[in-house]
Amino acid sequence: MEKINLKYYWWNRWTGFALVIVVLVTIPILTLITNIFGPPGSSWGHLKENLLYDYFINTLALLAGVAFCTFLLGVSTAWIISSYNFPGRRYFEWLLILPLGFPGYIMAYTYTGLLDYAGPIQSILRNSFGITVQGGIIDIMNLPGAIFILSVSLYPYVYLLARSSFLQQSKTLQEAAALLENSRVRTFFKIALPMARPAIVGGIALASMEVLNDYGVVKYFGVNTFTTGIFRSWFSMGDSSTAIYLAAILMLIVFAVLFLENLQRGERQYTSRSTLNKPIERSQLSKIGQWSLTAICVCILSVSFLIPLVQILYWVFLTYHKVINEEFFILIYRSFSLALISGIVIVILSVILLYALRLNPSKWVKGITKLAILGYAIPGAVVAIGIMIPVLGLDKFLARHLSADGIGLWLTGSLSVVVFAYVVRFMAVGYQPIESGFQKTGIHINEASRLLGAGTSKTLFKVDLPLIKSSLFTGILLVFVDVLKELPLTLILRPFNYHTLATKTFDMATNEMVAESANPALVIILTGIVPIIFLNKMIRMRQV
Amino acid sequence: MGILELQRINKKYKNAEKFAVQDVSFKVKKGEILALVGESGSGKTTLLRLIAGLEHPDSGCIWLSGDKIAEGRTSVPAHKRKVGLVFQDYALFPHLTVLENVSFGLHHTNGNITKQAQEALEMVGLHENHHYYPHQLSGGQQQRVALARAIAPNPKILLLDEPFSNLDAVLKDQVREEIRHIIKKAEITAIFVTHDTRDALSTADRIAILHKGYLQQIDSPKNLYEHPANPYVANFFGKRNEIIATPTVEGFYTPFGFIKDSRSAEYHNPVRLHFRPQHAKILRSEEQHLSGKLYSVSYYGDHQIVQLTDDEGHRICIRTGPNKKFTGKDWVFFTLERFGIEEVF
Repeated sequence: MEKINLKYYWWNRWTGFALVIVVLVTIPILTLITNIFGPPGSSWGHLKENLLYDYFINTLALLAGVAFCTFLLGVSTAWIISSYNFPGRRYFEWLLILPLGFPGYIMAYTYTGLLDYAGPIQSILRNSFGITVQGGIIDIMNLPGAIFILSVSLYPYVYLLARSSFLQQSKTLQEAAALLENSRVRTFFKIALPMARPAIVGGIALASMEVLNDYGVVKYFGVNTFTTGIFRSWFSMGDSSTAIYLAAILMLIVFAVLFLENLQRGERQYTSRSTLNKPIERSQLSKIGQWSLTAICVCILSVSFLIPLVQILYWVFLTYHKVINEEFFILIYRSFSLALISGIVIVILSVILLYALRLNPSKWVKGITKLAILGYAIPGAVVAIGIMIPVLGLDKFLARHLSADGIGLWLTGSLSVVVFAYVVRFMAVGYQPIESGFQKTGIHINEASRLLGAGTSKTLFKVDLPLIKSSLFTGILLVFVDVLKELPLTLILRPFNYHTLATKTFDMATNEMVAESANPALVIILTGIVPIIFLNKMIRMRQV
Repeated sequence: MGILELQRINKKYKNAEKFAVQDVSFKVKKGEILALVGESGSGKTTLLRLIAGLEHPDSGCIWLSGDKIAEGRTSVPAHKRKVGLVFQDYALFPHLTVLENVSFGLHHTNGNITKQAQEALEMVGLHENHHYYPHQLSGGQQQRVALARAIAPNPKILLLDEPFSNLDAVLKDQVREEIRHIIKKAEITAIFVTHDTRDALSTADRIAILHKGYLQQIDSPKNLYEHPANPYVANFFGKRNEIIATPTVEGFYTPFGFIKDSRSAEYHNPVRLHFRPQHAKILRSEEQHLSGKLYSVSYYGDHQIVQLTDDEGHRICIRTGPNKKFTGKDWVFFTLERFGIEEVF
């Protein structure tokens, strides 16, 4: 008989792998923390005196403005969709999510083009109504403009979470409110809204993370924030210590947002777990009421998606013959393969992390997996700085010991570092669908396999993975789309003269080739829409 | 020689206040069927998972056919233990056919895998459904597939978690017999967990009672029922009446009357007399008997339960035949055919 040995039960190779992954993924944060205590860079004094105040005010104003606007847009659309019946409701349900596929920086160029002197809006005003805008411009290239752009592209986060919270609220609660002679409006303010608060604030927190991550919009509009400050220190001044200081402050703001979000949520669990709950019944309005709701949805969708999309299509029509050539297809191929590789790597790592947790669901394993997906809260520019510094150090070390002349960069500016950065930043995106996939299959199936003599690896490949195939696919798809539109991180870490669709769009738009930039932008938007439609279909199929 | 032995097993879950299993030791003999019985939270399922290797004890040892498989915080991983487990929800692999499910555990063995799997399916009477997927089978059939899958690799011990809880009452009696028959035919040692005493009494060779993580008693069904080690065990197997009595030289004074019994001479302080409802017999005459005021009569088809009270309102239950009539009666006379005596502390 095979000899069997006793060993510590919490130890298996998966725990080991998970530990290694977590150590690697937390490198950027650790770098920042250790470097905060270094001496300030040469430009820090100047920056502190002249710019830091601006950075603070602009970043906070941006956060507050976007929070307020996404709240209004997201909650109102969510309430309309979840509690009224009106023509087109079934379509608006997912159409309203589409702006998520429209990166903010592309929206920014598009609206600037739409509103400038030669753009369609001013042309129509001039030619049809004889109105000439004073000074020739409708200026959105400022702080309120940035708030507008970010709000219309980020409100779907609030919409999605608020909607699902409204839908989970039970019919009986609303009926109870109605029996106590509350109007629909009063019920909304007294019951639905307070109950949905944790979800709504969660949505606003997600939108805030994106605001803090944004570089494209604020750079284009000339609004100085911490992200633009990091770029300025790193690229223009070559002052890495100052960049680290700024990155650290930005990270503190992120943690403050997360802390506030956590604080308001507390231990509260408003969602009722009862299976008896029926979803709220949609009320029937008069014909006029119904069509006005449709009109509201059409307006929001037009401003946040359709109008900019039409402008992009028009630009593409004007310029495609100049832009679409062999080089453009190479660009697409490179971008897609980079995104696909990142997606696959992230999904593999997520599976390892979650499998370690599945085999040993103890608190500390849970803790390290949570640590591994923290990157999603950290702005891309901060991740990039946190990776760049140790990589540069490692390169110096390698050069000193391996190359004859003591110079050479092996890692800096290589694609593997870019992929690594994507892994740090987007781990959570691939992790979540796999987590829910594992939850759905339950642990007993895994245990049954192991009791039948299959080791942990065989169980993973023969039992667990075949059952979560669609989650794996979803994970890759979501990462793919996020990587494709990622800008600040790619700008800092990409190899010299290497372009992705996102950096190319940014490059063209900032170099007076806005119309031409619409070509790569359109590819990003179209691929961004795919998972929204696809996931919506999947959710629908589950509901049926 | 016991095939399985647990020595002083302790287990506390993280964040839990109390121990799930405390200082449990017992042996299981080769070929016997042991039932682990207790209320929810008694630690019975934890004990099963500890034996399977899905949980790990904080201290104590587990031996399986002569090998130490767990000692303190070191342990043999589940897939090396050769233990079979039938889950409460069956945990069949939904993406594999019945035959593939049953073959899954046979890859370490020599010989024809398909043939062995077929044999296991034949044993549970499902050899004709081998190409079906689990969702195409009824609940009862799924359970038998799970049983075949667990038995097929010829485990050293078979564990079953609440095997009868998902079945309706009619099916239950039939399945109990079937499963016992299959296990005995396969000559496997088995442990099953249940909260239903009737499952335990009818299916097991021996029964272990757990309460709040402690092992209360482990014995044959008959001995447990007739000689319970403590009041908890006694009450666990159905209703038990208790009355306080004062011993004299000839017998006991009770609120329901005097009982003549020579055992009373051994006691000097008040004692507790206990008896099961079926051990009291209702009589017609008013001879030297006990009597109580009629409180209620409940009809159960094959029997009736009569509740009587004494002057202070203490109630006792008596089981009687379905045809006895109590209309218009205030007082009921009865005698005790059998009762136990406990000292009151």
